[in-house]
Amino acid sequence: MHHVSSPVLRRLMDEPLAVPDLARRHVADCGRCQAQSTEIAWDAELASRTLGAPGDLADIDLEWILLQDRLTSTGAARRPAARPRGRIPRRLAGVSLGAGTAVLAGVLAVGAAAAAVLTTVYAPTQVAPVRVSANDLREIENITGIGRLPGTLQPTGSMRLSFGDLTWSTASRPQQVSSLASASAMTHLAFPAPATLPSGVGSISSIEVQPRVTVTLRFSQNAGAAVAGSTLEITVGPAIAVQYGGTAGRGNVTTLAIAAARRPVASSTGATASQLEAFVLSRPGLPAGLAQEIRLLGNPAAVLPVPVPSGLSELQENIGGAPAVLVTDPNGYASAVIWEGHDGVVHAVGGLLDREDIVNVARQIG
Amino acid sequence: MEASFVTHLRSSPPRASFSGFERFFREEYPAVVRIAFGVVGDAQAAQDVAQDVFISAFKRFPEPAESDHARAWVRAAAAHTALNAIRGERRRDRRQRSAAIEVPAAGPEETVLDAESRTEVRRALSRLPRKAAAVLVLRHNGLSYAEVAEALNVKVGHVGTMLRRAESALRKELQNAPRI
Repeated sequence: MHHVSSPVLRRLMDEPLAVPDLARRHVADCGRCQAQSTEIAWDAELASRTLGAPGDLADIDLEWILLQDRLTSTGAARRPAARPRGRIPRRLAGVSLGAGTAVLAGVLAVGAAAAAVLTTVYAPTQVAPVRVSANDLREIENITGIGRLPGTLQPTGSMRLSFGDLTWSTASRPQQVSSLASASAMTHLAFPAPATLPSGVGSISSIEVQPRVTVTLRFSQNAGAAVAGSTLEITVGPAIAVQYGGTAGRGNVTTLAIAAARRPVASSTGATASQLEAFVLSRPGLPAGLAQEIRLLGNPAAVLPVPVPSGLSELQENIGGAPAVLVTDPNGYASAVIWEGHDGVVHAVGGLLDREDIVNVARQIG
Repeated sequence: MEASFVTHLRSSPPRASFSGFERFFREEYPAVVRIAFGVVGDAQAAQDVAQDVFISAFKRFPEPAESDHARAWVRAAAAHTALNAIRGERRRDRRQRSAAIEVPAAGPEETVLDAESRTEVRRALSRLPRKAAAVLVLRHNGLSYAEVAEALNVKVGHVGTMLRRAESALRKELQNAPRI
């Protein structure tokens, strides 16, 4: 048999079964063809090394959002500024809120506003601090009606808001489990426990699993012609929350809490991004500072707002290469840090610890 | 009331639906962005190329499931759009050099080396014949010989020939690039 041609030798490297047996047997016995194969392999390896791409190149959810923005003509002009560039986006500086349950309502209100700017999906890739105060919270509660929600939500329910119907559903109630392995199995979330705990932090005292929650908002005719009939669906979770007790007589005090949750994702079946954004910004009573900051945020599809109650200080951090928000009280008694990992999981670490200890724990996880 | 509300939700047709295209996007995006990265060597630029490709694809195949060619088309388009991008970059480089514009230096040394290596690869690719460059990035980002053939509209038997020649040409182009 003649020597095997170089294209066939090349294919023999990639798809040997596509090469005739006769050629394969020849190469096995022919020093000249083997030498040529070696040279071909060098060239192929060089090309592979210089032209191959890493596995994780883009957030496909976010890219789909950006594409839809461009497919709807109004979004096209905004897109160049919409892509996150690996830095913490412009923070919402003019918003304020109190403490306690106010924070939850703030998250819902600002998160809904952010989600509402999207055409079909909200898939944040990083966190950003939002300064909030009790006064602005009251205004948000008035607009949304969130203040009328009971303290303990049923697994499924609904309520009528001034601009539409809100429903929520979840597979089950939050439940305590006995091990991190069980929690991970139930939620499909990896939960790497820190190997080294700060001084004063004892063993795990509680592991709680929160199933995924789906919240649906259907805009009524009162919402205006542009968005009436549209539906916004937001999925949150599942999540794992782990609490640690104290040591030496402080066993019943929670000294450290670590949480992991799948990032929230939202989809809209009707109104376009700009229509939903206009709706949010036109709500009577929306604090002027918040409205302005939403406009300035550009496309908040990629941002998960972290409310920072007034009186607490907030710093930018970096955990595992991701931007993080570090919140501390003025006396340094308590701290918390929140970030979103590259796998789309939002992590929070907080407790009665100073910020160095909290960041040390976070860096073991992130 | 809740049940009827949910029923209504499920029966309401979307006013602006990209649902048919979304599935196609999610299946093909990883391959498209990888091919683009193979040419432009930068994640951000690759994402921009991928976006442009899918904008064009939507105009051409709004219901891609009904087309036999959509998949091959976006992959070929990724290679060609990215190659257009670096050829435009090459023209800009020439203009910059002729106008003696100083290109800003990058940060840490490691970044500089990486960036310079990527620049050398892009320059080498931009000097290859277009089809040779396309076959390289398609094959080295996971496409089979049959898929490369479909994307470039050539016979499968020709892919080996094209690939061998292209790899050899790339090596010659890069021989004077000490960082590669």
